[in-house]
Amino acid sequence: MRVAALTLAGIKMNSLEDYRNSLLTMLKQTGASLVVLPAYSSLLVGFSTAQLKPPADFFTILKDLTSGYGKWLELFLDLHASAARELEIYLVPGTYFFRESGCIFHSACCFDPEGRVIVSQKQTHLTREEREAGLCRGEALNFFTVGELKAGLIIGNDARHPETGRILALNGADIILHCGALEAGFNCWPQAAGIWAQVQQNQFWAVEAQLSGKLADRSFGAAPIVHGPCEITPGLSGYLARGYPGDSYAAAWLDEPARQELKQKYPLLELLNPEAYSELGRN
Amino acid sequence: MRLIDQFKEKLFQRYLVWLCRPARLRRHLKSVLPQPYIPAPVDRKRVRAAALQVELKLFKNPLAYADEMHRRVKEAFEAGAQIVAFPEYNSLPLFGMLPGIDQLEKSYQNAPDQSAGKNTGSGISLADIFSFMTPAVKPFIDLLFSSLAQAYGVYIMAGSYPFAEAGTVVNRSFLYSPEGRLIGSQDKVHLLPVEAEWQLKRGRSFSHFDTPLGRLAIPVCMDATYYETFRILESHRVDIVLLPIANLEEYNYWLALRGIWPRVQESVIYGIKSSLVGSVAGFTFTGRAGIFAPLEITPKRDGVLAEVESFSSEAMAVAELNLDALHQLRLNHPWRDHNPTLT
Repeated sequence: MRVAALTLAGIKMNSLEDYRNSLLTMLKQTGASLVVLPAYSSLLVGFSTAQLKPPADFFTILKDLTSGYGKWLELFLDLHASAARELEIYLVPGTYFFRESGCIFHSACCFDPEGRVIVSQKQTHLTREEREAGLCRGEALNFFTVGELKAGLIIGNDARHPETGRILALNGADIILHCGALEAGFNCWPQAAGIWAQVQQNQFWAVEAQLSGKLADRSFGAAPIVHGPCEITPGLSGYLARGYPGDSYAAAWLDEPARQELKQKYPLLELLNPEAYSELGRN
Repeated sequence: MRLIDQFKEKLFQRYLVWLCRPARLRRHLKSVLPQPYIPAPVDRKRVRAAALQVELKLFKNPLAYADEMHRRVKEAFEAGAQIVAFPEYNSLPLFGMLPGIDQLEKSYQNAPDQSAGKNTGSGISLADIFSFMTPAVKPFIDLLFSSLAQAYGVYIMAGSYPFAEAGTVVNRSFLYSPEGRLIGSQDKVHLLPVEAEWQLKRGRSFSHFDTPLGRLAIPVCMDATYYETFRILESHRVDIVLLPIANLEEYNYWLALRGIWPRVQESVIYGIKSSLVGSVAGFTFTGRAGIFAPLEITPKRDGVLAEVESFSSEAMAVAELNLDALHQLRLNHPWRDHNPTLT
């Protein structure tokens, strides 16, 4: 399976039509049958195509999701569902916000090649800023199937919480799809401490999409990456494909038999010692 | 085993015990160690630590091994260290006391799978050798590191040692106080597949120890492969994890990054990695000793306070830890969250 992580850099957003055409071109260019878009995609596309009113600052975006956002969200999801259908690919359209029982959740979903939503996932660990903005945490990690791989979604700050990857791995996840958005800067180490570390201690694949762009007063930029266990990646680096911040995408083929062989040879999860983890509630 | 062989084995074990006898070591240390050093009061903003990288050499005479450990502690003390960390399998140099160790090395080198170490070619497993040496090595190590800690007024994590206990062998690390007291020990909780083959027994829990230098923990090598270790230690408000390692693999930057560095990032804790390097009996160990911290409190935002350059020869990494900064970061952390309902 070929997979790709997009940053949204290089995609035109003068209008919604413009965005759709440009996105389709790039999706084709990746040659991937599974593509992941970064976090805050609904905001970036919404503001850039004038579907949403530009906010004064980033914190305001999180605090004041207007009723207009709900209407935009429908449009946003329809657009990506049709893109998935048209190209017959699995597509994670990045993230969006929605209200449920008085709570606002930061969420993502995945469309199958027929454009149906096969999973939706809420972010389960919040940053201090997200808590202060009143966002709520999801309580479960969900599974779905892409091709022959069991998959899970990890959103935003969940990348830095290894509980997420472990729960997914212990339930048999083969691949993790991550929608991320890190403030522009030197993000090589935060990325290594996040998804890279999760991949190495769980031996799954991961597609890490990172946002490249500006939202209100805040710039985002980090590398799009396709990860694998060190032993089956070039230079034992854990990176199958790794772009630079500002690159449009990173794409790679996954060699699933090689991963299965590695797991047999070095069964990392079988060497866990649950007896010692009673304090974590996992014995 | 024939009766005569059993007799020879017992006799040789007694010889080892005699060679390592505490009275002999005590006499030797008395002639080489300074008077006990009274350490200055601890400044929690400036706790100075040394992570030692020890090059594996075999010693036929245990007193030469004692001199080597002494030299390394003295070196760390002179660099201002208040806490000194030795590597995993720190007793391997004492294998030099075994006659025929050279043949053992040859047999490993000729074995199709050197990494297994399950059988020495003579029907003896490494676990057998560890068990055999325990009565000689255990009291020797205890006296040695207790004396070194007291002489230099430093905390010493003595590294880990495979010791026989109740019919099994555990891989155990030890922590000594500047008064020369054994503060505590920790059995390795996560074994390598090869250690499971050697029939080592894994630990069942994680310990921590209160000291003026903060709350310390001493898990062993592979324990840092799993985030659970550091989460549990963090939940006990551990400040510094001292991790002895002995990596049986060719050095690769990324492979080596998979242990303590990401764990320190996940669990907001200081990490000190001491490593065994070099080759013996067909085994080659690599690693880079270092001192690590959360990205947010390292000057280059890379999670590294100090790291040695070489992955194959003797070295030492020294850095200052700021416990107040660590606590401040924990109190006001930008991204850490806890979701007890997560399934």
